[in-house]
Amino acid sequence: MKKTRADIPGVEWVPGSGDFITIDQAKCTGCAGCIKVCLGSCYGMRDKKAHIVSLDTCLECGACWYVCEPQAISFSWPPGGTGFKTMWG
Amino acid sequence: MQKYHDSGEEMVDVIVIGGGFGGAAAAWKCACAGLKTVIFERGESVGDKIISGLTIPFHGFLFGPAFIRDGNPPVERPVDGIVNYIITDIDAGEIHIDDTLKVPKPFSPVFTVGYNAYCKEFCRWEMQQAVKAGAELRTATTIVELIQENDHVKGIRTETGEVVRARIVIDAEGSHGLLAIQAGIREKYPPDTISLADVYVYDMAKTDIDRIFGFSLRFCWGWDEQKIAPPLGHGNGLMVWPYRDSLHMMQDQCLRRDDGPVYNLAADLQKYHENITAKLPWWKEEIAPLTTLRARMWDGFEIFVGLNERLREMPNYAAGILLIGDAAGLENTELCDGVPAAWFSAEIAADVAIEAIGRNDTSATFLKRYDDRIRSHPIIQWALRSTNRYNLRHAQARHDERQLRQYIHDGWGLGFCRYGSTALMQIVLLFLRKDPSVIGKWIRMYMRYYRNWHFGHFPDGPGNGPEAGFPDATPEDARRLAVFLRRMDRVLSLLSPLIRLGATLLLPLSGAANPVMGTLLPVTEPVYLRLKKRFEPKLSPWGQRLADAVVGSDPSVFEA
Repeated sequence: MKKTRADIPGVEWVPGSGDFITIDQAKCTGCAGCIKVCLGSCYGMRDKKAHIVSLDTCLECGACWYVCEPQAISFSWPPGGTGFKTMWG
Repeated sequence: MQKYHDSGEEMVDVIVIGGGFGGAAAAWKCACAGLKTVIFERGESVGDKIISGLTIPFHGFLFGPAFIRDGNPPVERPVDGIVNYIITDIDAGEIHIDDTLKVPKPFSPVFTVGYNAYCKEFCRWEMQQAVKAGAELRTATTIVELIQENDHVKGIRTETGEVVRARIVIDAEGSHGLLAIQAGIREKYPPDTISLADVYVYDMAKTDIDRIFGFSLRFCWGWDEQKIAPPLGHGNGLMVWPYRDSLHMMQDQCLRRDDGPVYNLAADLQKYHENITAKLPWWKEEIAPLTTLRARMWDGFEIFVGLNERLREMPNYAAGILLIGDAAGLENTELCDGVPAAWFSAEIAADVAIEAIGRNDTSATFLKRYDDRIRSHPIIQWALRSTNRYNLRHAQARHDERQLRQYIHDGWGLGFCRYGSTALMQIVLLFLRKDPSVIGKWIRMYMRYYRNWHFGHFPDGPGNGPEAGFPDATPEDARRLAVFLRRMDRVLSLLSPLIRLGATLLLPLSGAANPVMGTLLPVTEPVYLRLKKRFEPKLSPWGQRLADAVVGSDPSVFEA
């Protein structure tokens, strides 16, 4: 069942993407860079460490991965055919 | 016939990773050469993962793959130029306009500086041509690893563990370059070279877009402290693209400034969007009442990689693999558009792949010729090294309005002639030296594209059958146009040896084009602009006559 969101029109999410972005808590310095650059509000902060709230609004832009200096964030593509899908890309 | 490696794994000639602009173009050429070519696309269908909002500049179409130039790709609107709003005080309404980069009448709107397109639709059209040529498309398949043996790329592994071997791999995976990084060929880009593009798509009636925008893009630039657009030099202000019946607004900004802290883009981009839509009278009063939000999306892409020598010099090949387009960091620093570079590099990669397979040599030593050709391609190198966008930061630092106007004029106004003339002259002469009849193909391309756009009908596009239901009357001007095109072909044929000779003789002088333009422009530009202003009203009806003649012509007149 594809998901849509009223605040991000024109995009669908195909389920099954799994944990294609992960955070190594031991490496995270709590700089919050990922929170600042994520337009999908996928990240949150807990005990001075970043954590993923949900990837349900992720557009796989990679911004979080680029700004993570301690390389705590691992970024890979979700399984084929899953994840976001633009209608007007 | 299916081939298998000794290991029992599937074996093909060419694997193309990614079904975007470059991947489809590379696959088309390899398939046309008779190579067993398989394209892997991670989206459920081609274009699913593409973020839209762009003008594909004219040079991509003129000097890119022949099947695009001579075909009928779906375009959303021809672009005849840019209107730059330089906003120095939004509250006081101080706005300077630079609209010097505009195709003059009577050439506009048939002859353009580019075409706006939905990337998704365009890539689907490209892929359709590649599949027609014999390439095989496998969608919904993510490649997780390059198979390497003795530092030689031999194939790929999919997420399900399936291994497909190839004589050569063309990596068109996009700007993140996950596979190339994993294989140790390239490294992750620093955040100050990456821009995050925030795109809003609005529904707007075609008649309103025709009336308000016509065929021109609108770019907005302003001082950072006004917070109406991303910081100068750390993004590109704000761009608005008119499509057929939708409007694209893009604001983008680098993730970080040099070694400084990461920007709070989630908050900043929201703030810019609110300010531009609420504060800028043009948007608030003229556009907002006529639009409704259709879509929103965002993406990260490399923007200043070409300005960093170390990053620019990173390998775009290794034994058994060639990287193209964004995967090789080939972006246009100024125009924020990687499509032409993706097409050029796709063609070069396909040529080299065909040569390598023909000689049974896919060693790094042999494939170095790909790198050599990329580094000697005039447009790719000009695109990578343009500095006006980056330099906007210097105008901001000094709050120097004169300098701000100059950078904008040089990047997105007529001043671009001081920087782009050498590259354009070189590539035009290279094409003319090879085949002067290409002039006829260029002219027909413009006319065919305009006609297709006018009717919203793209004959070889997805789901489009043969043209039907359009007026078949041929007005007098259309008849004259057909005669002109036939005569032009004859003249070009007769003058062909002379054009070839001229191109050969002029080519060594092309390096002087930029300095010559730099010297002449201060004198010629004001004269040109005065003449344009004076004669444009008289020439406008001729532009309309040309457009009407194109629309009223039999489409076969424009076939390449």
